[in-house]
Amino acid sequence: MSEIVLESLGKTFGDFTALADMNLTIANGEFMALLGPSGCGKSTTMNMIAGMLRPSCGAIRFNGQDVVDVPMAKRGVGFVFQNYAIFTHMSVRENLAYGLRAQGVPTADIKKRIQAFAELLQLESMLNRRAAGLSVNILQRLAIGRSAILEPAIFLLDEPLSNVDAAFRAVMRSELKSLQGQFGQTMVYVTHDQLEAMTMADRIAVMDHGKLLQVGTPLEIYNNPADTFVAKFIGAPGMNILQGRLSQSADVASVGVPGVGSIPLSPALQSAVRQLTGPEVQVGFRPEQVNVAGAGLTMHVGLVERIGARTIVHLERGETTAKAVLPADVALPKAQSDWTFAVPQEDIRLFDPKSGQALKARTH
Amino acid sequence: MTNVSTMTPVADQPEAPAKSGARLGLWLTLPAQLLVLFIALFPILMQVYISLTDWSPLDGIPWWRAHELWIGLLNYSDLIADSRFWGAMWRTLFVMAVCVPVQFLLGLGLAVLFVDDFRGKRVLYSTLLVPMMVVPAVAGYMFFMLFQSGGPVNDLLSIFTSDPVRIAWLSDPDLALIAVMVADIWQWTPLMFLILLAGMISVPQDQQMAAILLGASWWRRFFTIVLPRMKSIIIIALAIRVIEIFKIFDTLFIMTGGGPGVATETISVYIYKVTQQELIWSYVAAIALAILIVLSVVSVFAIKRMQRGQET
Amino acid sequence: MQRSISFEVFRYAVILAIVAISLVPTLWMISMAFKPIAEWSAAGADLTWWPRNPTLDNFRFIFGQSSTDLIVALERTAGRPIFASLLTATLGTVIAMTAGTSAAYGLSRFGQGGNLPLALIQLRLFPPMAVMIPVMIMWSFLGLIDNWFGLSLIYGIVTLPFAFWLMKTFFDDMPREIEDAALVEGCTRWRVFVRITLPMMRPALASSALFVFILNWSDYLIALLLTTRDWATIPVYMASLSSSMTGQLYGAKAALGVIAAVPPIIMGIAIQKHLVRGLTFGALKE
Repeated sequence: MSEIVLESLGKTFGDFTALADMNLTIANGEFMALLGPSGCGKSTTMNMIAGMLRPSCGAIRFNGQDVVDVPMAKRGVGFVFQNYAIFTHMSVRENLAYGLRAQGVPTADIKKRIQAFAELLQLESMLNRRAAGLSVNILQRLAIGRSAILEPAIFLLDEPLSNVDAAFRAVMRSELKSLQGQFGQTMVYVTHDQLEAMTMADRIAVMDHGKLLQVGTPLEIYNNPADTFVAKFIGAPGMNILQGRLSQSADVASVGVPGVGSIPLSPALQSAVRQLTGPEVQVGFRPEQVNVAGAGLTMHVGLVERIGARTIVHLERGETTAKAVLPADVALPKAQSDWTFAVPQEDIRLFDPKSGQALKARTH
Repeated sequence: MTNVSTMTPVADQPEAPAKSGARLGLWLTLPAQLLVLFIALFPILMQVYISLTDWSPLDGIPWWRAHELWIGLLNYSDLIADSRFWGAMWRTLFVMAVCVPVQFLLGLGLAVLFVDDFRGKRVLYSTLLVPMMVVPAVAGYMFFMLFQSGGPVNDLLSIFTSDPVRIAWLSDPDLALIAVMVADIWQWTPLMFLILLAGMISVPQDQQMAAILLGASWWRRFFTIVLPRMKSIIIIALAIRVIEIFKIFDTLFIMTGGGPGVATETISVYIYKVTQQELIWSYVAAIALAILIVLSVVSVFAIKRMQRGQET
Repeated sequence: MQRSISFEVFRYAVILAIVAISLVPTLWMISMAFKPIAEWSAAGADLTWWPRNPTLDNFRFIFGQSSTDLIVALERTAGRPIFASLLTATLGTVIAMTAGTSAAYGLSRFGQGGNLPLALIQLRLFPPMAVMIPVMIMWSFLGLIDNWFGLSLIYGIVTLPFAFWLMKTFFDDMPREIEDAALVEGCTRWRVFVRITLPMMRPALASSALFVFILNWSDYLIALLLTTRDWATIPVYMASLSSSMTGQLYGAKAALGVIAAVPPIIMGIAIQKHLVRGLTFGALKE
């Protein structure tokens, strides 16, 4: 079991900066997801943890010890590749035995461990089958087992479910999660699928363009995104971000979105707003938080998508767009007509219009 | 050929290609088929015919009257007892047994060195390929000169000894064979290198990475992952080289003419001599047919095995 | 892959040693070609490395301009054999490429001629000597001995497998959508082949043609058996020079060797990307 610390980690390829100044601590036994779109630097980070890439700067520590100069083969890291990289010219048994043989474990011990892990992973019946041509489900278990059998302190998984049918993905996600529970390793999981990260991870590190944007539990990231990128990336659909202006009338501070309406600000938000230099501000709220019974905001309904238990309403006003997600049993707005709704004050989030950073309240 | 038209309605298009194209396809393959037939059918029949006679162009009669010198299967029984033939066969197989493994190991070693990227790789790669592009007859002359008693090979060896080395390579029966093998290894190792490198590059990178992460050393990876996955390519490379070396002629003949004596006489050289110098063409036909039959059987076996190998 | 310094040094040492071994024989022959006769026969059998006074005499000699250093002149100059090699290699290439490309397309697109792959591989399997007697008889019967067409024809046949296999794999690699699009627009299959497919295949055709040309140009045995005086190709001519005079002709033969060997080397390097494909009958690509 190992704690991983990434300190000012960076990697450049010539002129291109893949990762810049990343600081992250992954606790012992934690399931940490590195989440972000393609090219955000998540795979680069993981390849450096594994030792496949050498950092351009910064340090990587396992339990306090810097491992940057430790060669790949000696880091004690388990790795599951995106396409599993199973040795297809060998049998399942030989795949499982590979690492043990490479490390000189006596044959008798190898046999015992293979038996134990095969039982655990339900691979007993196919130990002697050639690894080629097996189903993706089995290959995933084999890929994990092949690394797990060496009992590494750290487990790295590089988008292992991206090649799997959507239908299967949920099944395999839960299998993966239960396996992690059983083995108790520190797990780092790279994915671009925010749903995967949200359902599986203890904590999520959201990345974009080589930068770490936010680290937190799924709930934290969902409820209090650090910037507009995280806000829009998390959730399906993501948070609505509207351009607004601050205004003050009587004692009430509010944000007005042109053509849409005005949102009164809670005291906490009012204190947050004092950081702004100008009247412009970005307003965010999640589509699920739309209150049908309320009033205050009006937008034009474009498309109404009914997807079984939920309905997604596409809204627009001028250049501003937003989405609302309503449960199926609620009265639906009519398409091509204006619709009035409200958003509870506590669900409003504000962001700096220039930097996109979330505006946090100073006082409680 | 211009009367083949595809003026079919669009709806029929998916099936049309096979039907309308079949005729054009037949015409297209016709020239090749004719050439193959020409070179395969008549020669075989002719050889079968002649091999059963005692004909030679010196006899003054045209070949189709060779039946006047009918001797049945005598040529074949003579062949079995022909010690010079078996000597040539043995020599050919010996050369094969030495040169092919050497070329394979050298080629494999070079391929290992060329798998990574390094500075100057492309230029060095091109220069390594040059020997196999040298016209074999010219290579024969080159090595003939190199192995002269006053030549560069001896000069090079003289660096390591006190007295100047003046070995007459091509006049010594054993050394001549060695010289010939050196020439073949020089010329054809690049071919092995070329093919094996192509095969080595195609071994999946991620499987090798996975092996490293599981703690495998370079040697273990090489023998458990790289080589096994190169199996079919290795077989192809070896097969090509074995086939070609069986036919060895140009370089060798110009270097030694098959000599001294018969010291470097391989199958092709022997057949050539009987053909051009002793002119017993009926006997040569028998030899040729015997070889053809044996090689056909072997190749059918090999191809069947390869096809089975591809299905698994 | 990160490698240690000692490995890098080892790698370069080994590679450079083998590069030296690869190039030295050829470079030596090139230097011999420019070595004057005086430096040859002076110390008897002493063949030193670099000419002290490089000269073009050897080249002039083989083309019939004998210099005063030589005792005898050649009966036949190199001009004719060079022409013979050029003509027969080119014509043989044309024959092989025409028949081979057509058949390859026929098999690739229409599935016709399924026996050809096997037959053509078998053609390469057998020692040329094993089939030369019937060929010699046939050619003699048809009056094709020591004849430009006779030699070109047999060259075309012998290299047909290579032309076929190269072009077949190239055709197989080419996506059919472009041809299909033209077909839908009403072109006949023949027009598609000639107006669309072949122009698109120009680089592949060029590489295959060069490959086949190298093979034809490099032949020795077939020309040895099927030519006498008029149409001897360069290798045959070169070998024939030795019987008459030894010692005098090292430089001349080296010059001939240079003329014979350098073009294929240049061509080979130009098409090196496709060498694997051609030499393994398409089993491997680059």
